[in-house]
Amino acid sequence: MAKIIFTSNLERHCHCPTKIVVGNTVIEVLKNYFSEYPAIQSYVLDDQDKLRKNMLIAVNNEIISDRVTLLDPVKENDEVFVLQALSGG
Amino acid sequence: MDNALLTRYSRHILLPELDYAGQLKLTKSRALIIGAGGLASPVAMYLASSGVGQIVLVDFDKVEVSNLQRQIMHGNADIGRAKVDSAKETLSGLNPETEIITINRRLAEGELREQVKLANIILETTDNFESRFLLNRICVEQRKPLISGSVIRFEGQLSTFRCDLTDSPCYQCLYTETEALEETCSQNGVLAPVVGIIGSLQATEALKVLAGIGTDLAGRLMLFNALNMEWRTLKLKKDPDCPICSAT
Repeated sequence: MAKIIFTSNLERHCHCPTKIVVGNTVIEVLKNYFSEYPAIQSYVLDDQDKLRKNMLIAVNNEIISDRVTLLDPVKENDEVFVLQALSGG
Repeated sequence: MDNALLTRYSRHILLPELDYAGQLKLTKSRALIIGAGGLASPVAMYLASSGVGQIVLVDFDKVEVSNLQRQIMHGNADIGRAKVDSAKETLSGLNPETEIITINRRLAEGELREQVKLANIILETTDNFESRFLLNRICVEQRKPLISGSVIRFEGQLSTFRCDLTDSPCYQCLYTETEALEETCSQNGVLAPVVGIIGSLQATEALKVLAGIGTDLAGRLMLFNALNMEWRTLKLKKDPDCPICSAT
């Protein structure tokens, strides 16, 4: 079970509260979360389930490098943080 | 430095980490600031007041009334003026010792490369990804440190990309080049002090890198959320497959 947190800027688009979710990889955690909150999926993943180019994911505050398969391992009590690039200046 | 300058910069010189030698490095430095808006305001004002020798400001916009809520180096009387002209007046008023060089147009890639080459440090304060990716590519090519800040609504992001160091990640190790919809402050809003906070931190990083003191944010992305007053720092590794910096 891992905690998944979305940056508050995404909350503006759709409801995506912090939750404890089952999963052993990043993609499993995301998919299990999206089964309960489907509206946020298209903001995070493209139609091939790859991470969108303007999104980032960190596990325990370390940005993951595999943006394609999202198979980075997630362990018990890990924290998955989802955020997006900002360009405003 | 004469007595007047020693007095002007005395609170810096009192810092043992900075001292006279660090202040001297600042006065001999040249900073390139891309943009003259919200983030650039605290960046330029602190770099000028701190005694950075030369500041190059690049922007092609004019001051509008909607800018004044957060772009604090411009005032009411500046509405309709070129931002770089308004900025130069403010910065020269803060510290006439700093030379302010203004460029009131969008730079072509070759011109931008020339400006990057001349600078000791580059500060990205624009509101678009295209500019951010281009500037990163040139900074990697020219091996120049890049301080990047961005804001929207109540959130800010900040990092230092030590493109001058081979083992340091670049902006494109963090974000993949994208034409994804940009969220701008003009469309989504931004809380004024959030711009000040992130811009002030960009200036802090720039002064540290120029003086060669402390530990900068290379390999880390700092996030700020003003709504719940939370900070978060994410670790970022150099991407071995980065199309921009992996070959350097």
